[in-house]
Amino acid sequence: MREILVERSLARFAAARAASVVAGAGSGITVGPLRLADREPRALPGPDWHRVSPVLAGICGSDLATVDGASSRYFESIVSFPFVLGHEIVGTVGGGRLAGSRVVVEPVLGCVARAIEPPCPACAAGRKGACERIAFGHLKPGLQTGFCADTGGGWSDGLVAHTSQLHAVPAELSDEAAVMVEPAACAIHAALLGAVVPGERVVVLGSGTLGLATLAALRHYGQPAVVVAVAKHPVQRDLAEQLGADQVVRPEELERAVRRLTGSLGLAGGGSPSRLTGGADVVFDCVGSSSSIASSLAVVRPGGRVVLVGMPGTVRLDLAPLWQREIALVGAYAYGTEQTPDGPRSTFDLAFELVAAARLERLVSARYPLERYEEAVRHAANAGRRGAVKVVFAIGRSSSPAWRSGPPNTESVETNA
Amino acid sequence: MSPAPERPVTRGHSSPVVRLPRKMLGALAPPTWPGTVERPLPRSHVGTDYDTSWSRTPVARLARAMITDNITRPFVRLAAAPTVVGAEHLDPLRGPVIFAANHSSHLDTAIVLSALPVRYRHHCVVAAAADYFFDRRWKGDLWSLALGTIPMERSRVNRRSVDLAAELVADGWSVVIFPEGGRTTDGWGQEFRGWTAYLAKRCGVPVVPVHLHGVRPIFPKGGNRLRPGEVEVRFGAPLRPLTATATASEGGHGREEDARRFGARVEQSVAALADEAETDWWSARRRAARGETPDLRGPDAAAWRRAWLLPESRRSNAGVRRRTPSAPW
Amino acid sequence: MSPRPGFVLEVDRSTPPTLFWHGEGWRLERLPAGSRVVYPPEPLPALEDPDAAIRHALEHPAGDSSPLSALLRPGAKVTIAFDDVSLPLPPMRAPDVRQRVVEAVLDAAAGAGVDDVVLIAALALHRRMTDAELRHALGSRVFDAFAPHGLLLQHDAEDPAGVVHLGLTDHGEDVEINRRAAESDLLVYVNINLVAMDGGHKSVATGLASYKSIRHHHNVRTMQQSRSFMDRHHSELHTSNWRMGRLIAKAGVKVFQIETTLNLDTFPSQFSFLQKREWEWSLRDRAAFHATSAALERTPAGLKRQIFQSIRSPHALTSVHAGEVEAVHELTLADVHRQQLVRVDGQADVLTMGLPYICPYNVNSIMNPILVACLGLGYFFNLYRGRPLVREGGVCIMSHPTPWAFNPVHHPSYIDFFEQVLAETVDPLEIEAKYEESFATDPWYVHLYRTSNAYHGVHPFYMWYWCAHALQHLGQVIVVGGDRAAVRRLGFKPASSLADALEMAEDVVGRDPSITHLHNPPLFLADVT
Repeated sequence: MREILVERSLARFAAARAASVVAGAGSGITVGPLRLADREPRALPGPDWHRVSPVLAGICGSDLATVDGASSRYFESIVSFPFVLGHEIVGTVGGGRLAGSRVVVEPVLGCVARAIEPPCPACAAGRKGACERIAFGHLKPGLQTGFCADTGGGWSDGLVAHTSQLHAVPAELSDEAAVMVEPAACAIHAALLGAVVPGERVVVLGSGTLGLATLAALRHYGQPAVVVAVAKHPVQRDLAEQLGADQVVRPEELERAVRRLTGSLGLAGGGSPSRLTGGADVVFDCVGSSSSIASSLAVVRPGGRVVLVGMPGTVRLDLAPLWQREIALVGAYAYGTEQTPDGPRSTFDLAFELVAAARLERLVSARYPLERYEEAVRHAANAGRRGAVKVVFAIGRSSSPAWRSGPPNTESVETNA
Repeated sequence: MSPAPERPVTRGHSSPVVRLPRKMLGALAPPTWPGTVERPLPRSHVGTDYDTSWSRTPVARLARAMITDNITRPFVRLAAAPTVVGAEHLDPLRGPVIFAANHSSHLDTAIVLSALPVRYRHHCVVAAAADYFFDRRWKGDLWSLALGTIPMERSRVNRRSVDLAAELVADGWSVVIFPEGGRTTDGWGQEFRGWTAYLAKRCGVPVVPVHLHGVRPIFPKGGNRLRPGEVEVRFGAPLRPLTATATASEGGHGREEDARRFGARVEQSVAALADEAETDWWSARRRAARGETPDLRGPDAAAWRRAWLLPESRRSNAGVRRRTPSAPW
Repeated sequence: MSPRPGFVLEVDRSTPPTLFWHGEGWRLERLPAGSRVVYPPEPLPALEDPDAAIRHALEHPAGDSSPLSALLRPGAKVTIAFDDVSLPLPPMRAPDVRQRVVEAVLDAAAGAGVDDVVLIAALALHRRMTDAELRHALGSRVFDAFAPHGLLLQHDAEDPAGVVHLGLTDHGEDVEINRRAAESDLLVYVNINLVAMDGGHKSVATGLASYKSIRHHHNVRTMQQSRSFMDRHHSELHTSNWRMGRLIAKAGVKVFQIETTLNLDTFPSQFSFLQKREWEWSLRDRAAFHATSAALERTPAGLKRQIFQSIRSPHALTSVHAGEVEAVHELTLADVHRQQLVRVDGQADVLTMGLPYICPYNVNSIMNPILVACLGLGYFFNLYRGRPLVREGGVCIMSHPTPWAFNPVHHPSYIDFFEQVLAETVDPLEIEAKYEESFATDPWYVHLYRTSNAYHGVHPFYMWYWCAHALQHLGQVIVVGGDRAAVRRLGFKPASSLADALEMAEDVVGRDPSITHLHNPPLFLADVT
């Protein structure tokens, strides 16, 4: 069985970090801790576990951070080596009573998957993302499938998943749409955490997969008065407009655009405000870098909220504005159960709705076979610049008729990298 | 607990210039003052309390003579190229006098000193604003050494400083005074303060009116750079308060001229010198005789007209400067 | 030798390449044979004793007005308003005409014993001038006499207490002007009439007015009905200003108008080749041209800007008139025409022009893309009397590097206009309806206009309205050698060479189009039949 394995090697993580700093994002792939391995299939950890053969597996921003050795060391104790990357997975169940059905894997490994009885308070309340036992139970530590040595991950021919992690894919949904369910769930969770009140002015910083999905979620589940999206590249700009951004601006234009929009004054810097007196009500930072968090703090109004959607690491920040302007800085990780007007609903259920409603399959722009993982990772790391959004591995054969017909707007295999 | 001792208003000179952190001094650190014990205010050594006596010791006088002749005078020659007019009025004078000059620039003191005959140049003190030249110890040290300044209150007659000046005059020192009490801001003169005449009367010494012509264009108040030019230093005939007989013969009250009237006469003499510098000696004399000498303080009109009528020799090169935003290229 | 009038050259095979301004530099371009090049007249001789001429004009006023000295008395409240940094172009060598005139007026005021005199820079909605610019315009003597006492003011159209509403014209237009000016016993306005548009009632009714008042004539409809705004008798812009000016006079504001005209001697002698006909370039001119061009090629953009912005023009005074506004303006117009009018027969399919580094709104600043559009389509296109130099549906080709660059101190609202408004639409009417109000009232722009050196928030809109007549008239606008992204944002087509631009123009106007080239510097007014 083929897997893209990440091994514990400090030297190779350091090399990847160095390479990515010198040669740009994605360059860690050649010297880093990843290799394509051929291994015996894993044992099923328990009775409720199934083998899943991935059909499509997405490359996520957090995966790229691992590839480039840029992940925070915070994660060291909640992952277990060697692990297989990939947590955006649509696949086919390999055996048991679910054999042959097409599923999306909900990667969080909470108390239920870990057979911990009784479950922790968070899991008991349905907030799987906040599970307190992700390093315990009969599985090795790992916050998600894709970071745990016992489960494998999406960038492989096969992995194991607990029944509670599996969500059947409706027949009418294409594989491309299905692979977007997991990121869509993250975006919905973040959008709802932002608690946008109708009429509020919102900024979505970053127009990668998460940024665009957050935009779609905001439009679908809230009534913000104005959404300003920040996009660097032409493809991102177009998609942001299609998904409902009222104004799409380049990063360097953001402060001026927010100033105009909110009618606030500027401080210092002559005619080019270096600080605003007012700002947007809510800012969704879908990038997670020092500079993106700093510009989020710069454009949010006093008393406003900044939601960190993109995964941050160790950042250098001036927190004086956060303190003086009483800004709430909120993290938004994973998913679980959301409070909706129709009562509590699982984030994944909402994500299936959103993917279909907003046609998020259009974000899948390139597919690679596992063997060409180096190219795939480089492509994903430079997605925006190269006119792509979501890059996926196309691994197995789908059991769904929708797959065979192929989605309309993706190249079947990217050959010209 | 008693209230914390007040911060001294003036700086004591006992305080060390650089305070080392306590940690570095270790056991040698000075003890801290108990909060329950009132702390005495340190003695003031600045302003009119500055003691300039050291600057009149032979060693300091010698040093000042060297500075005046080797630094101040060459500098004044370069920057202001002074022409001295009316020095003959000083020839018959022996013994201390008071020089009263108009004031428009920091250069004035140096120019007057440079223009004085040797016997006065090295035996005179300059009354200087206590709040400006003596507000820090080092400034007091510097100016009293270089120019022989003594501290003087600008606006009121301060007993201590007048006593000091009177003592010095009695000792044979001459005094250079700028009776306006400060440099002009708009080019026109300011009212002469009372202490020049008061001091002259008290000590019984003559006042020599001095007019400096053309200094303001070189370095005005608020100026930020020197624009070398040419100045004229004009000495007038020495003035003494009119005696009782003199006032009586002029049909007056028959008492000795009082300080106020005498001061006004000093101001008029300087104004006549100014007129002479602007025009010529003869027409200035005739105007003075008719009592039509233009007032040093300028016309009583709107600010712009005062500025508009200001003679070239008193204009400033400074103007108003506000920071202009720089171009971003 | 008396100066030669302007003339129209027909390009043939032996014509040397023609000079095109190109921002901080120039291009030599070969125009196709048969093209016409309109050359400006040569500079008229300067007045021999300008100060005497000014004094004479003040004491021998035109129209129904007493001599200035008769209008001044002790105790009177006198305000002297003067044109701001946007005139003349490039800024002239000291002494500036304003300095000469203001000094003469002040001498009269001082002689009459007038104490209450205030100077006001008639900014309208332009940026405040810096102290250095005021000092240059008025001279040190005036500056030092007034500025330190707070008597040298700059008009503030956004000061609610500083403007006064004088009423509505019969067309319902608000007339709201500077309070100090309106409440003075005498308002003296000192003009520099660089082009035919300047002066007349526009001086007070626009220069000292508020946004509320200015918007009645600075709008798309007025600009589209001004054919052209350089021809006061066919300009809706001026008609509206004249209505306002008459209302101001009726409201009791006594205006003593002083108008001055300059000759076309625009550039100092080291750039004399700019003002000569190419076949008359001397050896010195050719050497200067090649040396300067080579040096400029190796100079970074910022430094080039600095060099060009430091050019001081040798402009000389050719006439001065003073007195009642309308009488003075007619005399002045005749003098402007005497210097600037060039007769051109018929329109062309294609109009080409080279755009310089400067326009009225970027003195000591950056010529941003909006100003490029305004200079070409607003000013140069409108330098006609009769009909435009190019036919309806024709093509205008402009040459300018059009960098995507802004001066954030002077043009903050321009940046937002370019990034946020032009990104959405370039249609003047749509822009006016949808965005003008919010830019004009944006508190940040108001703050910068009043306290910094920024143009008013609404000013970029006026620049775009200035282009409205040309945008409506032309089939296409092509910019040669410009920043592609910036040119496209303006809604124009970028071309890398004049030859390409002419090829592109043929798609619009057909094969073998007739071409007219507006040769500048200096500026002139085409009288098109």
